[in-house]
Amino acid sequence: MIGFFTGVEAFFTGLSRIHRLLPWILAYLLLLPLPFLLKFGISEYYVDLANRACLFILLSVGLNIVKGFCGQVTVGHIGLYAIGAVTSALLAINYQLPFWVSAPIAILITGLAGIIVGLPSVRLEGAYLALATLGLGESVRIMIAVTPAFGSSTGIMMIPEPKIGEFIFNSFESYYYLVMTCAIIGIYLSFAILRSSTGRAFQAIREDAIAASVAGINVPFYKLLAFVISALYAGLAGALFAHMPPGYLHHNNFTIIEMVTLLLMVVLGGIGNIWGGVIGAIVVTVIYDQTKDYYFYQPLIFGIIMVVMVVFMPHGIGGVVKQAMIKRKFIENQEESRGSA
Amino acid sequence: MKKGNKIISIFVLAGMILSAASALAGEIRIGITMRMVSENGQKYGQMVMDEIDLINQAGGINGNQIKATLMNDECKSDKGVANANKLIFQNKIHLLIGSTCSSVSLPIVDVTAKAEVPQIIPHSTNGKITQKGSAWVFRVPVSGRYYAGVNAKYVGENIGMKIAYICAADAASQNDCDAMQKQMRMQHGAEPVYVAQVQEKEVDFRTHMQKIKSAGVDGIMVAALAETMARALVQSYEAGIGPDVRRIGSSSASNAPVPKIAGDAVKGVFYAAAYSDADTRPVARLFNEMVRKRYGIHAPDHDFSQAYDLIRIVEIALNNAKVSLTSSSLKADRAAIRDAIAGIRNYQGLASGPISFCSDPSPVCRDGNKTPVLIAYTKGGEQYETEILARVTMPIDFGL
Repeated sequence: MIGFFTGVEAFFTGLSRIHRLLPWILAYLLLLPLPFLLKFGISEYYVDLANRACLFILLSVGLNIVKGFCGQVTVGHIGLYAIGAVTSALLAINYQLPFWVSAPIAILITGLAGIIVGLPSVRLEGAYLALATLGLGESVRIMIAVTPAFGSSTGIMMIPEPKIGEFIFNSFESYYYLVMTCAIIGIYLSFAILRSSTGRAFQAIREDAIAASVAGINVPFYKLLAFVISALYAGLAGALFAHMPPGYLHHNNFTIIEMVTLLLMVVLGGIGNIWGGVIGAIVVTVIYDQTKDYYFYQPLIFGIIMVVMVVFMPHGIGGVVKQAMIKRKFIENQEESRGSA
Repeated sequence: MKKGNKIISIFVLAGMILSAASALAGEIRIGITMRMVSENGQKYGQMVMDEIDLINQAGGINGNQIKATLMNDECKSDKGVANANKLIFQNKIHLLIGSTCSSVSLPIVDVTAKAEVPQIIPHSTNGKITQKGSAWVFRVPVSGRYYAGVNAKYVGENIGMKIAYICAADAASQNDCDAMQKQMRMQHGAEPVYVAQVQEKEVDFRTHMQKIKSAGVDGIMVAALAETMARALVQSYEAGIGPDVRRIGSSSASNAPVPKIAGDAVKGVFYAAAYSDADTRPVARLFNEMVRKRYGIHAPDHDFSQAYDLIRIVEIALNNAKVSLTSSSLKADRAAIRDAIAGIRNYQGLASGPISFCSDPSPVCRDGNKTPVLIAYTKGGEQYETEILARVTMPIDFGL
């Protein structure tokens, strides 16, 4: 298995040497026929499941930027997701704006909300920051729940699907291409951020904020920037969720339970590991789906997974795979050097 | 050896696919999505499954067995929609039962309408569910639009016009609260004296109760889910509001946790529901006894009775539906089941009045039960008791 991963990594590294976008284009092309394979191979339902997995990938990759890269504890991400969803939905319904206009505005507004959620990070850390962000996240949900203009208790109905000309994204397959494209771009940008000077500043803050400050990094600015970038991801995921058929939003979609599930995805995949976040989102979505029939034990299953992961795999699935790949490379290098000697 | 293994694997896989395909044919598949997060929720979910088992044990429907799949939607729309999609597109169900929450049933109506799958609703009362105009949806419970009319009529004629409202943020309570205020205005020209919007799981009502006390109201309507309502009722007495101020409950007042948690504070609270355990009809007595024995429920509320009525209606409709139950007849079978449900007339079950449907996709045709019953608690606690104040059959277009 590790050999497979190492092989894939070597192949994609080789491609990226030709052009940095080449591996991504290839990955995108490989994912194009997936809905048809799922529809005709298993069931049309799995395309819907893939769509939901893509939404969670966007969310967990976004959360990973602030939590994994920058080391800031946030439990308010779901509130940002709600802001993106409700803003895009209301703009589309009340002002008849097409998705292509309402979604970018929603993303920008969520980015601004990210500043508010991130402000406590300037002065707070650890559990205190978690509490502050939790409060902000819950406040958003409560505000939606009690404000008739935001759907209140009945929810927001009849949110139009995205469309281009006469083509409407109203089927599982068509929506897949929208969410999958966004997920791929989201992952790519996450890697780009990680490799940039901004990403290095984030990591420096994560390792030691005081040392980073001494090294000339504007710590408050970069902390806020991490929250804003993360919020942009949540805003996009929210907008995509709102317009996904049947186009309905309710404040119950954004509770603390959803936030814990999101954290589970990041922890399961591996905090700070981009591919880990992707794997975590897919694994949690699939486990949740496959345990639907055992609803009575579902919270127990998720609870046990969380505890086992934290105890035995603190770096998550992504961390374990990465470690194994490094080990394998090391052994191969050792064997090569022995052979040449 | 390796080649041999491959051949065996192919045969096993082919066998599995064939056996799955043959299992799909000749059975009626029903998908159920409900809120299974409370003890009561799990018990009436179990009751639905048990009743289906009993139908199967008695020979099934025209010789065909029913295969039911029960899923928990946790009263969350995204999970309810995911359940509906899984049941429709993977399990290839013929009929969907659910949900128990209005905020889940509302989006599922669009899913079933698009996929052309009949959907029958056990508890959701929000009026908008049938107002969407889907040809595939049927509602067994009394719609919220009827409850408000009955409550407002009784309040105006027997209690007074000065009413305070405590409205929780869940869909059903909000709907009940709005509808009651609207009906008080329409029927009696009475404006609310005090309105408080509270959280779905609010715990502190004391400030509101003090304000209500100083307003000198004739009645307080508490529209909230069971546990929240019970807390509000207890705190209304703690605030010094006497029993002369009548407490009016929303549709959730019929749920067992209300009298159990509220204790004596529930005495005198009245509400409109679809069923009362104080019903003396033989069918009701038998039902009460059955629920008591099987599930240990002292007095079944209308969630139990509606789930039971729903299964009986489904049984009648499936018996009448001309279905082929082959892998190629799914679309036609779904349409046949829908038409059979639409053909139900004057079903007399546990509901206080007859349940009828018809083919027009309008609330007039799709809100089956038009007879709310006005019930009052006479005793609280574990061994709570109720009495029936009135049964009122509403005009079919009432509240539209």
